[in-house]
Order: sequence, then C-alpha cells, then structure tokens
Amino acid sequence: MRPLALIVAVSAFVLGFALAGLVAGLDRTVRARFEGVRFRVPSRVYGAPTILYPGLDWRRIDLRGALARLGYREAEGTKDLPPGQYVWSAQRLRVHLRAFAHPSRPEPARDVVMRIDDNTITEIRSVPEGEEIGAVMLEPEPLGAYYGPAREQRELVRLAELPRHLVDAVLAVEDQRFETHSGIDLRRIAGAMLANLRAGAIRQGGSTLTQQLVKNFFLTPERTLRRKLQEAVMALIVEARYDKDEILESYLNEIYLGQRGATAVHGVGEGAHLYFGKSASELGVAESALLAAIIQSPNGISPYRDPERAVQRRNLVLDLMLEQGRIDEATHTRAHAEPLQLAAVTPDANDARYFLDLLRRQLAETYPTEVLEQEGLRIYSTLDPRLQRIAAESLRKGIESIEKRRPSLVSKDGPGLQGCIVAIRPQTGELLALVGGRDYRVSQFDRCTQARRQVGSVFKPFVYIAALEPFRGPPLITLASRLDDSPLEIQTPSGPWRPTNYDREFHGEVGVRDALEQSYNVATARLAQRVGIERVVDVAQRLGIESALPRVPSLALGTAEIAPVELARAYATLASEGVRPTTQTVEDVVDGEGHVMEKRRLRFERVLDAGTAFLATSLLEGVAERGTARSLRAGGLRGAVAAKTGTTDEERDLWFVGYTPDLVAVVWVGFDTPRGLGIPSSVGALPIWRSFIEGVTGGVVRGGFPKPPVIEQASIDPGSGALALAGCPGRRDEFFLAGTLPTEICPADDVPPTGGGLFHWLRGRL
Amino acid sequence: MRALRRGALAIVTASIAWGCAIAPTQAPQPSMRIRDVARDGDETRRASQQLVLEGLRADSAHEFERARSLYQRALQVDSGNPYAYLALARQSAEQDEPELVLQYVDRAEDLLSADADPSPGAEVHLEGLRGLALAQTGETVRAHELLERAAESAPDVWGDGRLDADELR
Repeated sequence: MRPLALIVAVSAFVLGFALAGLVAGLDRTVRARFEGVRFRVPSRVYGAPTILYPGLDWRRIDLRGALARLGYREAEGTKDLPPGQYVWSAQRLRVHLRAFAHPSRPEPARDVVMRIDDNTITEIRSVPEGEEIGAVMLEPEPLGAYYGPAREQRELVRLAELPRHLVDAVLAVEDQRFETHSGIDLRRIAGAMLANLRAGAIRQGGSTLTQQLVKNFFLTPERTLRRKLQEAVMALIVEARYDKDEILESYLNEIYLGQRGATAVHGVGEGAHLYFGKSASELGVAESALLAAIIQSPNGISPYRDPERAVQRRNLVLDLMLEQGRIDEATHTRAHAEPLQLAAVTPDANDARYFLDLLRRQLAETYPTEVLEQEGLRIYSTLDPRLQRIAAESLRKGIESIEKRRPSLVSKDGPGLQGCIVAIRPQTGELLALVGGRDYRVSQFDRCTQARRQVGSVFKPFVYIAALEPFRGPPLITLASRLDDSPLEIQTPSGPWRPTNYDREFHGEVGVRDALEQSYNVATARLAQRVGIERVVDVAQRLGIESALPRVPSLALGTAEIAPVELARAYATLASEGVRPTTQTVEDVVDGEGHVMEKRRLRFERVLDAGTAFLATSLLEGVAERGTARSLRAGGLRGAVAAKTGTTDEERDLWFVGYTPDLVAVVWVGFDTPRGLGIPSSVGALPIWRSFIEGVTGGVVRGGFPKPPVIEQASIDPGSGALALAGCPGRRDEFFLAGTLPTEICPADDVPPTGGGLFHWLRGRL
Repeated sequence: MRALRRGALAIVTASIAWGCAIAPTQAPQPSMRIRDVARDGDETRRASQQLVLEGLRADSAHEFERARSLYQRALQVDSGNPYAYLALARQSAEQDEPELVLQYVDRAEDLLSADADPSPGAEVHLEGLRGLALAQTGETVRAHELLERAAESAPDVWGDGRLDADELR
C-alpha cells in the first residue's frame, strides 16, 4: 500500500473511531435523561376546600375572589355552561363546578344554580334536575409549591389525554412534518436559510420539535455551529431510540410557556392553567392555537401583555391548521371569531409561606427534599385560604397601627417590630391559619412555631383550672370562692419573691372571677401556692403545652417560655370541652402517579373533665365581657367569646389568646430581641385578634359554649361567695360542678332548717 | 392481631344475632337515623348534616375515603355536629379501628349530652358502636353487654350486631 493511502486509511479510522466515541457519549447522555427522571415536578400544596351552602354570606367568604383564584371564568350565556365557568346575575349564580381529581376521594363536576338574596346564598339546586342540594364544594385552592433552585412549575400530561386539536396546533406552527422526518427536517432548514439570507439576519429557525426538545433538555441556547451539530446528532439519536409519541409528549411537557411571578411555567398542562385556568384536556381549538402561538416567544407574545398581537399570532396558527388540513373551514371560522378569554392573573400567594415552611419541616421526616422538589406530590392541607388572608392582613395592619401610635418602635435595621398569629379549629385540631411574621420576604423565621417567649398572664388560666378541677376529692375552689390579693412573699432558692400587680396595688379579698378578669398577679400566685406548682404544670401539660415548665412560684404568672402554637392547642382543649385535639396540618398526600401516600385521621383525647373545662371557659368569657379584654366588643363583635390577655415584664411580649366555639386564635407581638413596647396587650395584641375574628365571622359569632350536664347554676352573693337567698344584698348567677354548691347562706342569719325541711325552705326562699 | 380481633368480634356479633333470634320480643325503641334530624338546627347545622348524609351514601357505595372526607367537611362547616362524629365512628368500626371508634363515640356523646334538643334514638348507636369497639379490642364481656342492649333496643338495626351506613342514614 502507498504511504498516502495508508495515512488516509489510518486517519479515516481514527476519525471514525473518535466520531463513534462522540456519538456513543451523546447517546449515553440522551438515554440517561430519557430513561431517568425526565421532569422535575415540584410538589404542590393545596388548602382546604371552600364549602358553599344556604345561609352563607357570599361576600364574607369572598366567593368572587375564590372563583377567580381557581380560574373560573364568567360566561355570557348559560346554555351549555362548561365546567369552570359561571354566570352571575342579580339574584342568581349559576356555576359549573369542576370535578376534583383525587385517587380516593374524587368529586364529580356539578352544574348548580344558587339563589342569592342580598349577600346570602338562600338555595342551591342542581342543573338541569332542579334537585335541592345541601352543600357543594369548590376544589381546593393551590397555596404554593416546593420548587427546586430552578423555580419551574409544570403539570405533567399524557399525550393520550390531550385533545387532538392541541397537538395539531403545536405541530402546525412548530413542526408540520414531525410525523415523517427523522429528527432533522432538511426542507425546513433550507427554507429557513433562504428566509434568513433574504432578511440579512437570523429571523427563522429550522429546528424540528425534536431538536427543540434536545436543546432544552441537554444544551445551552448559544447559536454556534458546534452546538447546532450536537443538537442535530442528538435529535437523530432521540428519533432512533424513541417513538414519535414519546418524543411529542416530552416536548409538550417541556416547552417554556411564560412566567407566574418568579416561577417559570413549563409544559402545556401548566400553561393551560396559567392562561385559561383549566386542564389542558379541556382546551378548545382557539385556546389550543393561542397556546401553540405563544411557544415561539412566551413573554413577547404574552396575551396579558399584548392581547392584540397574541390574537394575531393565534389566528396565524389557525390559518396554518386549516392550510394543513388539521381543521375544517367551519372550525377555523368559529375559532377565528372567538374573543380572548383569559384566566385571572394569580401570582403565587405570598400569604401562606410560613405555613408552607412548617409543612416542609413536618414532611421532611417522611419525604426528602429531592422528593418534595421533583416528584410532583399533591399535599392537601388543612389551611383555610380565606382565614389565612384575613390573618395576614390583620397582623400587618395591627403592627402598622402600633408603630403609628409609638413611632419610637419603628426600627430602620433588622426585621423591626414583629408578630404572629395562629388559628386552629378546636374540635378537630386542624390548623386553619398561620402567619409567622409581618413580612416573609424580610424574615422567614416563624414566631408562632419556632419561637418560645415568656407568656405572661395567658398562663394564668392553667392555675385556675388546677384549682377548679376535682383532685382526690372536691376542688380547691369554685367560681364563688374568694381569693387573697394582699402582699405576698415567697422564699425561693434565689431569695424572696414578692409579686406585684400591673396597677402596683393590692386589692385584698377578691372573687375568683375578679382575680382572673383583672389578671391579679398576687391572688393568682397565692392560689398556685395553695394548689401546688406540680398540679399547675400537670394541667398545662395535659392541655397541650410541650415546652419545659420551670417548677418555680413565678410560673403561675407566666415566666415559662412557650411557643404560640402550643398555647393555641391548650386553649383549643378548653374550647372543645376538655378534649385535646392532635394538631393537624395535612389531610392526605398523593404522589405524582396518583397514589395516596398517606392519610391522616382526626385524633383527640379527653384530658380534662367537661365540667371544669366549661368553668374555665366561663371565667374567660368574663375576661372578654368585663375584664382586661373587654374592648373586644368595641367594634360591635357579638356572640360567645372567651379570651385572655398577657403582657410580660416591661411590656416586651404582648399576647392575646381567645376562642369562639369554632375557632381559637393566638396573637403575639414583640421584638425578636426582647425590648419594651410601652403598651399593654389590650392595646397591642387584642386589636389584631379582634380584627381577625371580625373578618372571619362578620362580627357575629355563631353558637355558644355547650353546658355539660354536670354543671349546676345557682345565685350567689358575690361579696361573700355564699348562696344568695331573698334578702341577700347582692346576687349573681354562677356555675358549679354538681355537688360543689356553697354551703354558706346569705343573709348569714337566715339559717336553714336541717334534714328534709331544707328543700322546702329553699323553695320558699328562692 | 387483627385476625384475633375479628374473631372476637364475629363471636360476639354471632351470639347477639342468635340471642335476638331466640329471645322473646320486647317493645323496640326507635333508633335514630340522620335523615330524621337533617332538618333540625340552623342553616349551618343543616348544611353539615347534608354532608354527613352524602358521606353515608358514599360509605354505602364503598367509597370510604370520600365518605371520610365528607364527614370531615361536615365538621369544617359545623365542628360541633355530633352526627358527623357518629358517622366517623361507624366507619371506623367497619374499618377495624377501635381506638378511633371510642374517641369519636365519646365526642358524639359529649356533644349530644350538651345539646339542648338531643335526639332520643342516638344512645342506642353510641352503645352499639362502643360495644363493637370493645369487641375489637378484646373486651368481649363488656362488648357483649353493650351490643345485647343495643340489639334489644333496636332489633331492626342492631339485631345483627352491626350498623350499616344505610341504617344510620
């Protein structure tokens, strides 16, 4: 062989070998992606569903807002109203509720009509049957998602579930010969080159859909020959290895379609939700054409930013579909004439971020970060989006109002004056609202679940409960008992302790109600000594306090450091008549394949007898009526409310804990690094709680605290605590556990006969 | 353990059914059905009851998770609705979760006893469900006593030692 021929042969061999190696490397890359985790889908968290029923005030529950956030669209006519649309007239709301897709508790789509008088839903009937319906549900609102570093959101779709016209629209404009080419389309490349030569600049791309997918999956957007060659080779590999449907499905799930706030929206599934508030499977021809039109430049052709341009481009896609025989003339004409109907813009809610973080911390025990950020779990939580918004608003406005009142509290550096609010449904323990600070963007530290602060007087009810609860015999006190609020000195290992009252005065002998309503420290500290600190600790722990409680006399006045969420649970136990609920944040979790991974049950345990719990609630109702929380009623709030204020030394922590029969909420206000606020809780924390409850209830609390059968009622003389008969100068009705009525009589000289005559004597006197 | 529980439950319910069959007939008490009280209370309670009824229908159709979710929704509307707890207790008994049955029965009982206008026929269900739960936990003597009492009070419902979703609805 001639030397030249040998050189050529060897060179060809080496080149061929190198090329084969290169192709093999690219093949490995392609396979790794296609056969591994193809898409990273962040897990999504949903709130509790909104329930609609007759008697409900639609304004108070912000029904219009809820429909908008869920992507429902207002239609013009009611004929054939499709799911996800509604028609609202003066006294009628017809809404076609969407189906709720859940593997084990699905709900069908429901077309219903509601009669509305003023603000109230008065009747719900099914359409067309006309059957009366007691209650219907809106699907749960998305609260947010656990994004990875890329902040991409997508809803994976299967090709078989998509309408053919959506696929046709994409193919018509992006790659009309997709079905026939092998990854690269030479005719398209030639056409693009010609167009670019004529324009004197790069105006058109010749990439097939497969090449676009390869570029998005594996390559950078740079326009170099090397990258283009790589893209072409990889496209050929993809086409050789995988079938057309698989490639198309991957493409439809991968394409970038715009932004929702800071989050990038990828794939037609998520795109359909972003632009039309519906699933991709529900898209019509015009909507599909618009989605396909956007692919070229999602932000440039955004229908929100430039609707006219978007419609022009949509119509171009429709024209292409007609030209290529993908739709008929009639469909084309109809779609062409369709006005742009977009979903309301719903940026990621900022309100629930603290809750999402809490959930993430709780879920981290079961689901690693990669699973939460990549595997598309659906987490159905207990959070009530409406309550959450009201809580966030109440806290923000409340703190701003404090700063306005005391400008010295405004700090330029750091997170400044802070606060938090947490709300629980007492009977079930479901966490309904959680706002861990005034602004998540400034500070992500959750003061309701991660901070422990001195609790001050909101701890006092535990002392009274320990004394009111029967323990190895009758209780130490009843609500008619008298307590001593005279100076007190208690010897402790660190020296004598002399508690004082907030008003710096001593009040002598006071009634139990007065002592708690006015939050007297000395009477409470003395009562704690009588009942024993261990018993107080036992009560607090049984009710739901988990933080360490120091066995010191000052514990009675709230020197322990406790997290607000613990207080919420403890007070929830009182609101649910002594039954402690397990705090619940999640109802169930569904994985990306649609399997229920876990479901959580409502759980509770009786930890306090119903009678004592009722007495405690009655005491706390007194605090709201006459005591330190009496300004609760200033705005006209009506109905059953039990509450307690708490202000720690030098007014560094302001607390307010209160409950209605259906809701318990805790508010804390203070600085992260403790500093005096110069105002009491009734001025700082109470207005936030009041604003929250008024927003939630509309100012009228439903129902009352149920009185268990073990409770008896009798008239007493408030001055002495004795049973009040006719002639007694003062009288007040009071509650007692059965068998604990006072034995003394007022007036004292009116001595009852003994034995069987007592009943007749009492009847005569009363 | 579950098999043992089921065995104990089967023995107790079979003996109740046999006892009922041979016992002299007594004047039966009416047992409460939720549809009988569905129109009681305010609008909120009525809406909650409708969700309980829908849940019981789902239970009858073996859509257990959907039924449970509807009971939970009923409590979302009215967390003091004793009948929602009763329905949860019934379902938990059917699913062999005795600890939950007892929690729910206690809760329903507390709420019913504090109710100003309690439903007279609800006690039989509370007794029966408590009996079922105790049978599942192996306390057969007490379980037998409760189930027998329930069967005597409401033989048409509790005669077979169980409470179907349709029977509660």
